[in-house]
Amino acid sequence: MRTRTLLIAALAAAIGVSAPAFGRIKLATLPVRERVEIRLDNPHFTLVEEERIVPMLKGTNMIDFSWSNTAIDKNSIQFRPIAIRQGKKFRPIKTVDRPSGAKALEIRVINVAYPPNENALVWEVYSDEPCAAKVRVSYVIANLTRSFSYRALANRDETFLTLRKYIQLRNYSGEDFGGSGVWAGFGPKFHKQIGHQEDIKILLHKFDKVPVEKTFTFDWYTHGPLNPDKPLASRVLMHYRLTNDEKHGLGLFPLQPGKVRIFIADSRGGEAFLGEDWAALTPLDDKMKLYLGESRDVVCTRTIESNQRIDVRGNLHHQEIVLKYEIENFKDKPATLQIVEQLNRLAREYGGDPHGDVEWEHGAKTSKEIRFEFEHGGALPMLLIDLPARPKDKDAKVEKVVVRFHVIIKNLW
Amino acid sequence: MKRNAIICAVLLTAVVAEAKNVDLVTLPGRDSVQLTIYNSEDLTLAKETRYVTLKKGANQLQFSWANTLIDPSSVELRLLDHVDQVEIADTVFPGQKPQHLIWNIESKFEGQVKMEVTYFTSGLTWSMDYVAISDPDETMLQFDGYVRVYNNSGEEYDNAEIRLIVGKINLVEKIADLARRRGIPVPLEPSGPHRLMQRDAVRKAFADAEGAADDMDASRTEAAGIVKEGISEYFMFTVEGSETIPNGWSKRMQAVDTEDVTFDIVYRMRAHQYGPRPVRFFIWRNDAEHKLGDSPLPDGQVNLFRDNGDDGLSFLARQQIRYVPIKAEIEINLGPDDLVVYETNRANVKRFNFSFHRNRVNGWDETAHWIDTIRNYRTKPITFELRRVWHGDIDYDSEIKTTLFDYRTPEVTLTVAARSKKQYPATVTQHHGVNAKQNRVKLKR
Repeated sequence: MRTRTLLIAALAAAIGVSAPAFGRIKLATLPVRERVEIRLDNPHFTLVEEERIVPMLKGTNMIDFSWSNTAIDKNSIQFRPIAIRQGKKFRPIKTVDRPSGAKALEIRVINVAYPPNENALVWEVYSDEPCAAKVRVSYVIANLTRSFSYRALANRDETFLTLRKYIQLRNYSGEDFGGSGVWAGFGPKFHKQIGHQEDIKILLHKFDKVPVEKTFTFDWYTHGPLNPDKPLASRVLMHYRLTNDEKHGLGLFPLQPGKVRIFIADSRGGEAFLGEDWAALTPLDDKMKLYLGESRDVVCTRTIESNQRIDVRGNLHHQEIVLKYEIENFKDKPATLQIVEQLNRLAREYGGDPHGDVEWEHGAKTSKEIRFEFEHGGALPMLLIDLPARPKDKDAKVEKVVVRFHVIIKNLW
Repeated sequence: MKRNAIICAVLLTAVVAEAKNVDLVTLPGRDSVQLTIYNSEDLTLAKETRYVTLKKGANQLQFSWANTLIDPSSVELRLLDHVDQVEIADTVFPGQKPQHLIWNIESKFEGQVKMEVTYFTSGLTWSMDYVAISDPDETMLQFDGYVRVYNNSGEEYDNAEIRLIVGKINLVEKIADLARRRGIPVPLEPSGPHRLMQRDAVRKAFADAEGAADDMDASRTEAAGIVKEGISEYFMFTVEGSETIPNGWSKRMQAVDTEDVTFDIVYRMRAHQYGPRPVRFFIWRNDAEHKLGDSPLPDGQVNLFRDNGDDGLSFLARQQIRYVPIKAEIEINLGPDDLVVYETNRANVKRFNFSFHRNRVNGWDETAHWIDTIRNYRTKPITFELRRVWHGDIDYDSEIKTTLFDYRTPEVTLTVAARSKKQYPATVTQHHGVNAKQNRVKLKR
């Protein structure tokens, strides 16, 4: 059995009617919730707004709001009369001229009193006329939280994704909210039954045909040698890369952090699970990178082909290094390998202290096949190398792509 | 309801030093009560006026304050009538009766006199809080401030005039400590059933008070106004009319009610202060231009909402603000905004101008090219303030007008158009080792 833990009571023995001051019989009405809105746009605070129809007598009305077994932030509670019933409809609350010359709302809060050691408060509300008023009570509540998750389904060629974004609502606030409007700060509003201790997963948006790029990344200094048998090879990590913009089928809103489960369509119309990763916050126009695992079909070995010190003066010198990469693609599809070269660590290993970010320039032996990107700064170049698919001919060997990065690291000591 | 602070006219005129077990007293009621509550200390100056009937000759007035937190050393009696004919001979604190004192009064007058009793008490406190609601377009605010008065003094104060002091005063001893000396008991936490009884009683008290007011055809139809005035270095808020705040209860009343307060939205990137992402601020001033400024704003929590255009609210931020003097700025930090992105990139490092000592490098200069990029996905232009702290001897050059916030912090303010990006390039030369002659940033232009 669930119990309602929030209670609003209009003490209809409203004060200010012509009853004698003492010994009055009190009658409390319990206005039910007409509407509940749950706002999840703030990642740290969940705002609940309830709408209730409260009978008001002319004069002062005492409206008691109390709660138990819920963590409502007492200091966040707002009471806002918004409309008055006229016939079958409601009209907005009007501002009226007071005898004092001041302007005031037809229904206005005089003050709020807080009883000791209780989760309750009493609004003293003055109404110019007897009426049924629509009021909104807003408060911040704890343990009603949201998180985001994604489900990505790749096509067989791994060129497109169907990306579904979900919001998961966890209601451990102690309160049954019943039918409630839910808004996450973006996307559509939802209307759901939200009970206590319920987790509700709602599809926020489905993005069809999102172009995806499958990347292969080699980073020697992060992952080190692959194994003792292959001391010059290192792990090649696979990622899906999505761009959060309209051109790539996304770009409606920033993508919030959350778990992404990745599936791929199989040849029989089914799906296979590829893995999962935590997606970072991806603002508009940024790229979301989803880790898929290690590739066994793209193999890269890295060799220091030459290493030469060029003295300048005293202990000041340049270090000229040629890095040779031998890459094999055993896949039946072409691929692009991204090689991250950490030049500060390279300098420290072979030349000396870089004293911050290295100063460097290309040497003449750098292969023309390499494209460079500097997304993470000048000292962390990313080398992009296109690899052909393995030969279709059974007897043909996989072509080994050999490229060189000739770097002159300057002014070390 | 029980009153704890009682003043009695002791009709027996026996000598005080002798132990008396039988007294006959009259209990003059309070004519008025004024409470001046300080928020920087747990201190309230209570001032009561009462009518007491005196006879010619020696009179004794007994004042007692069981289960309250009154500082005995602060209790004073002042005559408001017949000042020339009535004299307070002395004040005695009986040893066998804690929380009592007796005033010995010599009177040449017989009849009713008006007296004023003042004392310091503790357990009455007040705080301020604010609610700001922005319009859906985020151009104007409804800014309301509330005072909340808490009564944990152990005493019921009915229909009291309430004055609140904003400012920090100096006390050499805490009033609650003074009140607790000599093993005097302090008010206990009420039990559950007692709380319910209290609550019922208080509802009745509220009803009675309002009912009584109604009988006088003067029921409160609007929120009590708050009159603000400056006194010395302090500010005093006086709640218009009188309020009843039962013991254990608190009451919240509106002190600031301002509509259409314009405000600025500013983004700040200060990694040393706010972390790695730019944060969004709503900023306005406590001045007439912003429809405020009639008093300082005391410390308090601000709850900031936005009207979502559908009769509903969105919760934007919560922040504790410090005392805001008149004309000072109010800044509310809304935290990072996913629709404004900041990135920085450093490239083109060059080293030159090497110095040597015994053929070893001991000084050099280094330049690097920095590009900060701000992307604004909002539908309105934004103001973006960028500050970065540098250490060492720095020469700083940017084609965009940059100023120094302090000796090591360049700052620049940029306007980024709606749905666009802006870059802020800078060339930074740092002198290292013996080449470093200063510890400061020098702007090249």
